[in-house]
Amino acid sequence: MKLSDLKPNQKGIVTEVVGNSEIKRRLLNMGVVRGVEIRMVRNAPLRDPIEFEVRGYLLSLRRDEAENVIVEVRG
Amino acid sequence: MDFIDAIANARYELIGEILGKSMERTSKPKSFSDLVDIVVLDKYLGIPIFLTLMWAVFQFAFSVSVPFSDVIDMFFSFAADWAKSSISNEILASLIGDGIFGGLGFVLVFLPPIAFVFIALGILEDTGYLPRAAFVMDKAMTKVGLHGKSFIPMLLGFGCNVPAIMATRTIENDVDRKISIMVNPLMSCSARLPVYVLFAGVFFTGYEGAVIVSMYLLGIILAALMATIIRKIFFGGKPSPLLMEMPEFSVPSAKSVLNGAWIRTQIFLRKAATILFIGAVVIWLLSNFPWEATGGGEVLENSYAASIGHAVEPVIKPLGLNWKAGVALFSGFMAKEIVVGTFGILYGVNEEEIGTAILHDFNPVSALAMMAITLIYLPCLATMGVLKRELGEWKWVELVIVYELLLAYLVAAMIVGIGRLVI
Amino acid sequence: MRKVVALAGNPNVGKSVIFNALTGAKQKVGNWPGVTVEKKEGICKYKGIEFHIVDLPGIYGFTASSIDEKIARDFILQKPDVVVDIVDASNIERNLYLTMQLVEMEANIVVALNKMDLAKAKGYKINIRKLSKELGLPVIPMVAVKNEGIDDLKEAMYHVTKHGARTFLRYNDGVEEMISAVQERVIEHNLLPNYPPRFVAIKLLEGDEEILKMANFSEEVVKQWIS
Repeated sequence: MKLSDLKPNQKGIVTEVVGNSEIKRRLLNMGVVRGVEIRMVRNAPLRDPIEFEVRGYLLSLRRDEAENVIVEVRG
Repeated sequence: MDFIDAIANARYELIGEILGKSMERTSKPKSFSDLVDIVVLDKYLGIPIFLTLMWAVFQFAFSVSVPFSDVIDMFFSFAADWAKSSISNEILASLIGDGIFGGLGFVLVFLPPIAFVFIALGILEDTGYLPRAAFVMDKAMTKVGLHGKSFIPMLLGFGCNVPAIMATRTIENDVDRKISIMVNPLMSCSARLPVYVLFAGVFFTGYEGAVIVSMYLLGIILAALMATIIRKIFFGGKPSPLLMEMPEFSVPSAKSVLNGAWIRTQIFLRKAATILFIGAVVIWLLSNFPWEATGGGEVLENSYAASIGHAVEPVIKPLGLNWKAGVALFSGFMAKEIVVGTFGILYGVNEEEIGTAILHDFNPVSALAMMAITLIYLPCLATMGVLKRELGEWKWVELVIVYELLLAYLVAAMIVGIGRLVI
Repeated sequence: MRKVVALAGNPNVGKSVIFNALTGAKQKVGNWPGVTVEKKEGICKYKGIEFHIVDLPGIYGFTASSIDEKIARDFILQKPDVVVDIVDASNIERNLYLTMQLVEMEANIVVALNKMDLAKAKGYKINIRKLSKELGLPVIPMVAVKNEGIDDLKEAMYHVTKHGARTFLRYNDGVEEMISAVQERVIEHNLLPNYPPRFVAIKLLEGDEEILKMANFSEEVVKQWIS
């Protein structure tokens, strides 16, 4: 599923990062690479952007940025 | 997977190995920062808290700083009066009094709001609240071609565009920053309000409030429009990504905040202030010369400034405005606060009577056009100074000047056009 | 004697605090040429050396497409005498990603491991000696807001200007094979001789627009080299 589909407190493992090279590169720089665990924390009051926890820090992504990350939900 | 993925993975793989050998992690309880976020970013509380903080910042920057500005204003007024009464040579007295002391006072009066804005920003920055503000507002701001971090500078523009534009330093992305800077002057600063009050009061009695508010709204709509257009034409139309880290909340250090505010205030003093001061002296020259004809600046009609007004008249006549409006608008270039006073001098009346005086030369349509032009036409000299400083290259400043003049004329023309159809 | 020190690191790592601590009142603020990005410079005098400290924009990587990253990258490629890589210890995993890239650029690096107090509060226990050994670089633990570690940092900067601090970090075999293949071609064609060959190879493989243009090769050609 897409990262943007995670529910609050749901965790996923990243399986793929797609998208245009600039967004992809930035996501990789921020540590969103294949195999990393990422947790959805909350939506903004206007439902966009979304806050995630990854590698021990908090990362905010717009919904359309988060759609570039494919995750597998952890049981 | 392609190389970009492979190397990113390889780097983090190595980091994992290195940390595996040198670091231990124990589980952490919810930190202070996490608890604050639960409140501050809450679905229902987030926006009210944000708006309250914004109100507080605005009050701090523009109300609390007023007494300090008043003191500076008073000091330089005294200095100017003293110079004019003590120096025998009339021209020299006026140069030193109105030109130099007046110019200095004019520039330094901006110091308190600027310093206070930077203190407020420093607190917001050092606590870590700014990214949270951006998180709350991003959706709304991106809809209008701006960025979540643009909200605060835009809001500050309603007080004064000078500290507002300097506040864009908090926007990291260069393109977002440039665009926020270039549309900031459309946020109707407090200096323009007296013009609205005058014209709305005389020509829209009973509806002043609605008319004035619509001027503010017009500014906001035009800012959104120009942000989108400028982004499309000059920056490829792509919105820049958010991808933003939320740092931990921390207690700001007073020393760090005050030091940061002082350094940034110094930047204003060193660069923008020089342009301002020179501009103030030039405008003094244009308003007071030819010396004989103007009787030492008394008869504004005979000054070079008035000649400029007459020169501009053919351009603004189709909008229902005459040379007097031209002179007033020219003085508004110096500082928008002066526009109303300039009308007073030109009609030879004092403040209370200006309203009756303008009835001769304006009607409701041209009054609206005048208000719209005041909103849009040119940033004041002080704003120009910071525009140059913050945008870096003259080409962007020139773009602002050109688009504002064209937009002002266009909007005024539309008002006149619609007016003709309706009346 | 005058030495140039670049302060690099992610945003929010405490670069300003460290910059202020090193330079005190002797600071100059301007813009990097042609952009609205702020450039801060200052002087730090220590043991007879005048360190010219340049504060680079806070960045997450070194791609040419972002103005901040390009400024930092160009400055580091001009080979300043020392690069102080400021790492937020409470966020160490992601921060070290930049360190990896600095090592690829073959800079002389001092790792300033800041916010040690926050790391501790988060339950992290970092063995400085082991970390330094694994990285092959000096690591200075600091809590800059409390002024802790500043003197050790100055000493490390001094030491590095005398003895250098370059390290080599090897990635997994698959990636290293590709890098070697391209690096051979880089050396063979004498591409961008002012830049470290390993850095050029990695950037060519990443499809970096600027390096590709400067080297005058296309991505397809580079892909052929590794097949």
